[in-house]
Amino acid sequence: MTISNKPKAISDLVKQHTQLHARTGPFTEELLRQPGKFGLGQVPAHLTPDSTTSSICGYCSTGCRLKVHLKDGQAVNLTPATNYPVNLGMACPKGWEALAVLDSPDRATTPLLEGRPVDWNTALDSFCDNFKSIQKQHGQESVAFISTGQITIEDFFLLGTFAKFGMGIKHGDGNTRQCMATAVTAYKQSFGFDAPPYTYADFEESDVLVFIGANPAIAHPIMWQRVMRNQRNPEIVVIDPRRTETAQVASRHVDLAPKSDLPLLYALAHCIIRDGRIDADSLARTEGFSEFKKFLKSYSPEAVSLKCGQTVAQIESLARLVSEPGKRVSWWWTMGINQSYEGTRTAQAIINLCLMTGNIGKPGTGPNSITGQCNAMGTRLYGNTSSLVGGHLFNKPEHREKVAKILNIDESRIPTEPGWAYDQIMDGIDRGDIKGLWIIATNPNHSWVAQKNFARLREKLDFLVVQDMYHNTETAKLADLVLPAAGWGEKDGTLINSERRLGVIRQVKQAPGQALTDYRIIQALADRWGDCEFVKQWPTPADAFQTIKKISAGQPSDITGIRDYDHLEQAGGIQWPCSKEQIADAESPLPSERRLFSDGNYYTPSGKAIFHFDHPSPLAEPTCEDYPFILLTGRGTSSQWHTQTRTAKSAILRKLYPQDCYIEINPDDANRLGIADRQTVTISSRRASIEALAYHAPTVKPGQLFIPMHYPDANKLTHASFDPHSRQPSYKYCAVQVG
Amino acid sequence: MSGLPPEKTLIDDLLADQKKLFTPVADFADRHEREPDLAGHYRNLIPLSKPGPGEQYAFEVALDKCTSCKACVAACHSQNGLDENESWRDVGLLLGGDEAPGWQQTITTACHHCADPECLNGCPVQAYEKSSETGIVRHLDDQCIGCSYCIFKCPFDVPKYSKKRGIVRKCDMCHDRLAEGEAPACVQACPTEAIKIVKVNVAEKAKLGSRDMGWLNGAPPASITQPTTRYTGREVPTSAHAADHDDLTPEHAHWPLVIMLTLTQAAVGLFLGSLFLSPETRAHLTFSALSLALFSIGLVAATLHLGQPLKAWRFFLGLRTSWLSRELLAFTILGGFLTAPLLNHVPLPPPLGFLPSIINHPAFLAFSAGTALAAVFTSVKIYQTTNRRLWKSAITFPRFYGTVTLFILLTLATISPVASFGFVLAIIGKLALDLIQLRVPSLARERTIVTTALRPISLLRVVGVLGAALLLPFSPLAALPVLLLSELAERTLYFKAVRPLKMPGFLP
Repeated sequence: MTISNKPKAISDLVKQHTQLHARTGPFTEELLRQPGKFGLGQVPAHLTPDSTTSSICGYCSTGCRLKVHLKDGQAVNLTPATNYPVNLGMACPKGWEALAVLDSPDRATTPLLEGRPVDWNTALDSFCDNFKSIQKQHGQESVAFISTGQITIEDFFLLGTFAKFGMGIKHGDGNTRQCMATAVTAYKQSFGFDAPPYTYADFEESDVLVFIGANPAIAHPIMWQRVMRNQRNPEIVVIDPRRTETAQVASRHVDLAPKSDLPLLYALAHCIIRDGRIDADSLARTEGFSEFKKFLKSYSPEAVSLKCGQTVAQIESLARLVSEPGKRVSWWWTMGINQSYEGTRTAQAIINLCLMTGNIGKPGTGPNSITGQCNAMGTRLYGNTSSLVGGHLFNKPEHREKVAKILNIDESRIPTEPGWAYDQIMDGIDRGDIKGLWIIATNPNHSWVAQKNFARLREKLDFLVVQDMYHNTETAKLADLVLPAAGWGEKDGTLINSERRLGVIRQVKQAPGQALTDYRIIQALADRWGDCEFVKQWPTPADAFQTIKKISAGQPSDITGIRDYDHLEQAGGIQWPCSKEQIADAESPLPSERRLFSDGNYYTPSGKAIFHFDHPSPLAEPTCEDYPFILLTGRGTSSQWHTQTRTAKSAILRKLYPQDCYIEINPDDANRLGIADRQTVTISSRRASIEALAYHAPTVKPGQLFIPMHYPDANKLTHASFDPHSRQPSYKYCAVQVG
Repeated sequence: MSGLPPEKTLIDDLLADQKKLFTPVADFADRHEREPDLAGHYRNLIPLSKPGPGEQYAFEVALDKCTSCKACVAACHSQNGLDENESWRDVGLLLGGDEAPGWQQTITTACHHCADPECLNGCPVQAYEKSSETGIVRHLDDQCIGCSYCIFKCPFDVPKYSKKRGIVRKCDMCHDRLAEGEAPACVQACPTEAIKIVKVNVAEKAKLGSRDMGWLNGAPPASITQPTTRYTGREVPTSAHAADHDDLTPEHAHWPLVIMLTLTQAAVGLFLGSLFLSPETRAHLTFSALSLALFSIGLVAATLHLGQPLKAWRFFLGLRTSWLSRELLAFTILGGFLTAPLLNHVPLPPPLGFLPSIINHPAFLAFSAGTALAAVFTSVKIYQTTNRRLWKSAITFPRFYGTVTLFILLTLATISPVASFGFVLAIIGKLALDLIQLRVPSLARERTIVTTALRPISLLRVVGVLGAALLLPFSPLAALPVLLLSELAERTLYFKAVRPLKMPGFLP
């Protein structure tokens, strides 16, 4: 903000300095508030809007709607929208500061080729020439892309179709592999489709809420708002090795030993079956229960007690709590489950508990995966990476035919099998199979597990393109070519939140310099690449949205009933499914909060849900004499987001988290090792050694250390192991030493 | 290969389109006066009626509802149109308890709109007002002279200095929102309704003296100002301590204040010493002139500490409560007394020939000496009343008057070798006192800072003062700058090692 009320004349200046008691004046006027109209109440006078519009927040998957205050068409401020079923007038600090991060000197404003600014024509030529020559020399499959969960459905759609059907790229994946792949795989196998069944009202409708591997108090504060609005006097159980912010306010904290979640969940199922607390109606809609029952024999509480660090009585009591007849029990998980070498089976162990106890398809129930990024579900459905655009399958001829027809492309352009997952692409680079990489809106040189690998692999690439808002992300600094992208607030499109709700984001600011929206960048690249006429069918995101609707027809995620962006705006966002037929049925208008599976029909071929289970796998990297501590990673604060490319750009957000990398250590361990509070210590794993401030945290148990994932050093330590089903990296457990 | 691009390509159109801003569905139609959309939400979070007699508005924070989302901080910033990094609400962390895993609690804090606000009491120009109707403590930004004394005085680190404006700013409890039945920004923005505005009975609060009324373990004592904020909903263990309680980051040096204090006290010492010199001597001229010169430099330096020096003439407004006002008055008068001795050394026109007999009159000299000592007393009180541990009476009085004593003895060394001996004793005494005082367990943090981060300054202090002692027998005038340097170092330590009182913070 600038000081706009400079004294108008010498006389004013004199008056200000000669008044005995100056109750008004230029400084006072700077802070004046006045009615903002538009239902805003009082606003700062210098930021009074002349109109408003709304946009869904572009950080996490909660999907809050923000009311953007406009002055002469440009955003000057924002407040959380009140009339929206997601956030009810609230936002976390990231949402409040969503505009601030756009005005950063770190924004990429021109394309950069080998660090030098170039014009777009040169950049487009460089992209096409280099990737084409790599493909010519090393084969079509030698160029890959890594995208994100942070751009719009329309961006993904254009990116995925251009990359795979235009450039002939086979291997492309999203950073959602690092956060949601496990939940996706678990749902797909168990329910036949990637279908989180809940709606946020379930937070308020539940009697027992179990948060496992989730810290919504700071990671999803606006979902936590809904928990706090629950009027049913619920039991809140937090299953987490640390006494997190959420655990602090829970009615029960289960401080299980790290990575003992799977045996614990099996033991709960064991007790529930033993005590006959199962729901026959629900089980009638499932397959594989008898095998599961047999499998569970060896998972008595006594058998797992030691491994889980919980007494038999604690396990028995928890089993009773989550199977209480007549009580609505909901399970909520995030990265504590997903980022594991056996995450898929762990997520399915939760799903199994819900199926057994009938806690599914009813208010306040469900095995509910809380999504990470604002459009993680959008990339899962329309990213055209592991599944064919629209949640279809590459290896299903009828799906290829359907998509080819709608996109007006030759079916032969569609690969007949999915491409590699993120880690397989990295391995491909290592082997020399992948020589060109295009990275869109993500930062693997910070976030990739056992991070040093990425910098090493970069050396093996002939050409690396990074498309990002900022020119100096850890990854952009390694790029041959940087393409400057417009960000949230500078473009239009749609996002899908955790509860399957589509919402619209709007352009409310001018992008800096020559930055272009991802959509326009892809249009320009397709134009320059050649032989991509099909991309011209969709001059704007709104055009792409109409085709995306057509692709969704007949899928569980059908959105053919959504007319356009205005319809989404007016309806307060719309959850999928929303088919033409549902919308046409004037008798029963769609409620704004809907959950799946209330009819007991799942998306599997048989229509039944399937029990999946496996015995727990050995730890990928157990502690030992040399590396005696377990390193846990996770969210630091509500004001930090992922690798901090955006959140570090707001001075207000920077106030709200420690600036230097730190680890949390139990005071007893610290005292035993003679480590003072705030002393700089070295933490070493088999991959690397880093320095960080040691912070005496009684919330961490002895033998464990916690490091927030937002600091660039954190992933130097983590161990690269992967879930065999979802290929998601296991970030949450590795062996380290400290000193 | 793509070859040369044609004259005008798609990219040109795309770049042109990108520059167009079609803000869609801009809702001009909605631009009318109506009840704020959030009114239904916060209606229960603010009192229905204005405070009655003996009551005032206060923040109430439900600790069990606050989950560390920190939206209150961001909302205060946005909804009040504050500077890029400015918010009037802040958050910190308390840790404690004996369990493992242990207890922690986020503490959200803004101005406590105290029943007895020390910011207001300390302000030299009445730039603070406490509303008799609402109890809200408001800062008058255009009245402020930017002396920052309120920052020293507030036990909760609430007022913040705005460098570009040269004034401080602070929370006003969104008084104009409250006046219209709207909730303050932080109250509106809290997703879990953890922050409320309530009415509290001020008299009762003062009587009960705080902790019983929902004050916090791990926060500065409520007894200083009687903060009105209530923290409820979750028991805070007695072992609770702020996450930043042993933060070892040194404070700002406040160079103008270091210079002002040291130089004015040196000036007072030289002046008092010169009272023992015969007015006819050259030494009297030298030390009187030096005294006035140091004093003048000190005062000029002091004005550099003001963000709005041209408004400083208002200082007398605070005389009733502010030691800073009193210091300014005392120094103004003292300036005259320090000038007087020089009249002995200038030719006076005949009508003023009577002046020497007045200025050398024992009564006059006694009065001027008293004024000088009183002026130093006002300086002591400024710091001593901030309740900071390093600035308590037992430390501040010996330090400030110790400086005066050293310069008295330095002056007397010109006429008596005994004074040199006294000087050495005084130095030993002053150093020893510093050392003994820093060994008090409650000053462990300050001692650590002095011996680690501030070690070079500590060394300068000790070496300087010993150097002055060595030089003194040879030439008091040569010892003077060395002593001055050493005393400046001592005063720098005084400012940089102090631990300000503040609400719980986070890691740095």
